[in-house]
Amino acid sequence: MATQHSRAAARLMISPAVILLLAWMLIPLGLTIYFSVLRYNLLMPGDNPFVGLENYEFFFTDPAFTGAVWNTVMLVVGVLIITVVGGTMLALLLNQPMFGQGIVRILVIAPFFVMPTVSALVWKNMFMNPVNGLFAHLAKGLGFEAFDFLSTVPLLSIILIVSWQWLPFATLILLTAFQSLDSEQLEAAEMDGATGVARFWYIMLPHLARAITVVILIQTIFLLSIFAEILVTTSGGPGTASTNLTYLIYAQSLLQFDVGLGSAGGVFAIILANIVAIFLMRMIGKNLDL
Amino acid sequence: MARAITPRQKWTFTLVAWGIGLLIFFPILWTILTSFKTEAQAIADPPVFFAFDWTTENYTTVQERSNYFHHFMNSVIIALGSTLIGLAIAIPAAWSMAFQPARRTKDILMWMLSTKMLPPVGVLVPIYLIFRDVGLLDTRIGLVIVMTLINLPIIIWMLFTYFREIPVDILEAARMDGATLREEIIYILTPMAVPGIASTLLLNVILAWNEAFWTINLTADDAAPLTAFIASYSSPEGLFYAKLSAASTMAIAPILIIGWFSQKQLVRGLTFGAVK
Repeated sequence: MATQHSRAAARLMISPAVILLLAWMLIPLGLTIYFSVLRYNLLMPGDNPFVGLENYEFFFTDPAFTGAVWNTVMLVVGVLIITVVGGTMLALLLNQPMFGQGIVRILVIAPFFVMPTVSALVWKNMFMNPVNGLFAHLAKGLGFEAFDFLSTVPLLSIILIVSWQWLPFATLILLTAFQSLDSEQLEAAEMDGATGVARFWYIMLPHLARAITVVILIQTIFLLSIFAEILVTTSGGPGTASTNLTYLIYAQSLLQFDVGLGSAGGVFAIILANIVAIFLMRMIGKNLDL
Repeated sequence: MARAITPRQKWTFTLVAWGIGLLIFFPILWTILTSFKTEAQAIADPPVFFAFDWTTENYTTVQERSNYFHHFMNSVIIALGSTLIGLAIAIPAAWSMAFQPARRTKDILMWMLSTKMLPPVGVLVPIYLIFRDVGLLDTRIGLVIVMTLINLPIIIWMLFTYFREIPVDILEAARMDGATLREEIIYILTPMAVPGIASTLLLNVILAWNEAFWTINLTADDAAPLTAFIASYSSPEGLFYAKLSAASTMAIAPILIIGWFSQKQLVRGLTFGAVK
């Protein structure tokens, strides 16, 4: 029943959103690409000459670049392994009959609602601090030497903190997927003598495959941009031991004021995120029937 | 699950699940407890769990020393303001795409989502420079604008999935009974759309409240919401665990409460309908 009139009305209703998002996407994106080919440092006034791909060359040959790529990969993969494996087991557990299921679920998902700066600082000070942290007290109580997490294994410590934040997300989504599992199929398998492990491996896991993929893709998008947790715990250090790409680009742009270099890094980050996004968008697109 | 479970198994599941649940929740519980201790008790070895002199002194100190309430209100204004403006822009768009899908609707939706995949650091430099040049750095209004734009795709998507579930047949029935378009919208569609709008509002307040990239990079002090304010506690200043805990408890309490109410919407809002 789409008349000419109603179609015009529909267009009018969508256009503010479309125009705003278009501007939000194109203007900064265009400027990032433009700045990335200029020699442009806020500390050096004067004109900003065109330098071609010089900034990209500097970015890729920056001594911190390789380390940052490596740290980014470790951070993403590390958190993914912990949250997906842990989330699957937790979802499996929460799907069993028990007393106070609702309360347990609330306890488990709570970390997701804690803002990044709070969770990072609470872990850094109250748990991982080598003098006053709870882990140090615990180690001393058991007769061990206190361990300085953030200076000795900075990246691993950040992986643990971020995993704590994202475990609820994976658990909640996988629990949703578990609940849509056909229980008759499981019963049939059980009657045919399938063991618990076999039921999990051959029935539950294939059913979860899609949800797991979605968890991996969505988390990857967010994990590539981890920033606040690094800023408040290690500031990327010691040295650049816990600097990921996001933090490296931030440091180049807003600490060294090198707009050109930071923009070249920004373009690289956008390309990287888009590779993941393409897969995610495909999965979402398939599920959207119009 | 219909499988027969012995009481013994049920008790085992209960114990294991509660154990793990409490372990995961422990850092939050510990923060809340520490916020009521003195600084000396906060770092006591062996740690004290409940048997300490409960005090609310840290809360008053945090407020007096750093005007906590000001930053709290910044968070409220930024989270709520950006969500409400976002809803005002998104409701008409989602409404028309859900009820009058056109040939291009799917493309538009997918494109909107793709803007959400843009890594913030990729556009940090231009946004920072634009904000500096037009005087939006460290202003609430600047942050409201950025938050509105980064969450707009999620708002539209969530609303779209909710609106799609409204049975359109009911409109036919109303029309048969002689309802005008105006009456249709006011008496039939709106009441059915309200729960979806409310859920979208809650989830987006949570996301905007906890956003910690733009809030840290675009504010200094005046417009700093709690995310950025708490980050300023990262420099060590002697005994400060109890005060950090008090500031943290106040920062996460409202969202924990809202979050528990909207845990079901979380899945829908963050997976864009890809998991059901």
